Amino acid sequence: MIRRELKFNFKSFVIWTSILIAIFLVVFLIYPYIITDDTVKSMDELMSVFPPEVLKAFNMDMSSIETVYGWLKSEGFMFVLLIVGFYSSILGGNILLKEENDKTIEYLGAIPIKRSKIITNKIIVSIIYIISMVLLLGIFNYIGLLVSGDFEHKQFIYLSITPILIGIPLFAINLFISTFLHKTKKTIGISLGMVFIFYLFNVLSELSTNVEFMKYFSIYTLADVRNVISNVSINMVNVIISVLITILFLIGTYIRYGKKELI
Amino acid sequence: MNECVLEIKHLKKYYGNIRGVEDVSLKINKGEIYGFIGPNGAGKSTTIRTIIGLINKTDGKIYINGKEHNKDDIETKKIIGYLPSEINLYDDMSVKELFDYHESFYKFDTSKRRKELVKLLKIQENKKIEDLSLGNLKKVGIVLALIHNPKILILDEPTSGLDPLMQSIFHKLLLEEKKKGTTILYSSHVLSEVSNLCDKIGFIKDGKIIKEDLIENIKKNNYTYLTIRSNDIKKIKKELNLEIKEEKEEKVKFINNMDCNTLINKLSKYNIDSLLIEEITLEDLFEKYYR
Repeated sequence: MIRRELKFNFKSFVIWTSILIAIFLVVFLIYPYIITDDTVKSMDELMSVFPPEVLKAFNMDMSSIETVYGWLKSEGFMFVLLIVGFYSSILGGNILLKEENDKTIEYLGAIPIKRSKIITNKIIVSIIYIISMVLLLGIFNYIGLLVSGDFEHKQFIYLSITPILIGIPLFAINLFISTFLHKTKKTIGISLGMVFIFYLFNVLSELSTNVEFMKYFSIYTLADVRNVISNVSINMVNVIISVLITILFLIGTYIRYGKKELI
Repeated sequence: MNECVLEIKHLKKYYGNIRGVEDVSLKINKGEIYGFIGPNGAGKSTTIRTIIGLINKTDGKIYINGKEHNKDDIETKKIIGYLPSEINLYDDMSVKELFDYHESFYKFDTSKRRKELVKLLKIQENKKIEDLSLGNLKKVGIVLALIHNPKILILDEPTSGLDPLMQSIFHKLLLEEKKKGTTILYSSHVLSEVSNLCDKIGFIKDGKIIKEDLIENIKKNNYTYLTIRSNDIKKIKKELNLEIKEEKEEKVKFINNMDCNTLINKLSKYNIDSLLIEEITLEDLFEKYYR
């Protein structure tokens, strides 16, 4: 079953990974040509217009976008976190529910396989793909940065891993929500909406201390890119919270799906 | 000899306030074909999906080989073959890939049976599932249900979409399975095929089994159609007090369950122009139950 699931979900994995790689490929190719002394000067002028809170929200206060690596740490990583978030959420919302939506569950439910095993197989495949996406992009960017110029290797490696901390919990939350639904129609809206809201909460929490509490309601807080950039380390508390959220929602999925009316 | 393989006791299923099945009890012995007859919405598919474990029962018990069956019982699922009324399979796969995938769930060699069935049903394994017609999809479903030599076959409207030739091949296949000792639950609303195949029939209406009997007893039922033309038809109607199927002026078609002597005795008092007694068919009986 795992082989079948890997094959079936391969196409969407390739599409989403290609989108990410394409963004970075374009940046690697054109960045050297657009960054000149004049453009750096005009960008500095542009940045000075923005309040420091806004720059902080997009990590632009910590990195200069004069280099590809600088761009990657700020705007570039925003794309990575969003796209890995979208992919993981959509995968979570669909991978189990698709069987009911397409009514293939009537076949799957009649063959000798436990419901829990169906879930386990689908989780394994999803985690393989989420991690593969992050790793492939990391390797691609590593090579791209090697060619483009200097960068901090250790910092980059830590930075590349952080999307896993948001991707897997987002997958687990969406998988759990899907056990309350019978059609995949609603899941895309829920998955995309959830990623936007979590991301927005995270950005808003950086803008003002008055709304800093919003970070506690966002999965994106777990990526903690600022800490990775400034301290070159991954906060273990975030790793533990990410794992705990994942476990909690996966347990919920097993319980709910075990009782679910599949048709 | 009468070893009960599948038993359902007071099965009840409600979807919120909506009735799926009210009270279904039935027993099927080894090697028996049980015709599960009822109109659309009577509760046939709900009963079957509860046995398969796709939906949860509200109340009641299901026993397979004397052991209470729960929805995640893998050992029991290994001996069940299921053919749903609508076949929904993975469109991206070819028939061959699907059969290979299906075989991977059974820990024994099913290749010999697969070859036999593919040949018998004339299935092209290189075709994509999405390109199959309804009939060919059904044939693939039949292979999936039979490939692992199940001890129990659960068939929900199995011949819908099959051409008459294929229906006949399928029925022969079922009789062979019966000979091997396979127990079969055959849900249908086509009585003619059930009457030729089944040993026992259960009629389900509004979620309840309203009649269950051996096919030979049902065929030997006491019902006849009695058509009388007479000037005294009003008095005859009152005298006989039978259910009327059709009525046209002085000619009335009754559904009769009186024995011949009583009937002749009662009719002898009246002037009768014509009288016709016909055997009631299973279809008519079906109509009578569901009217």
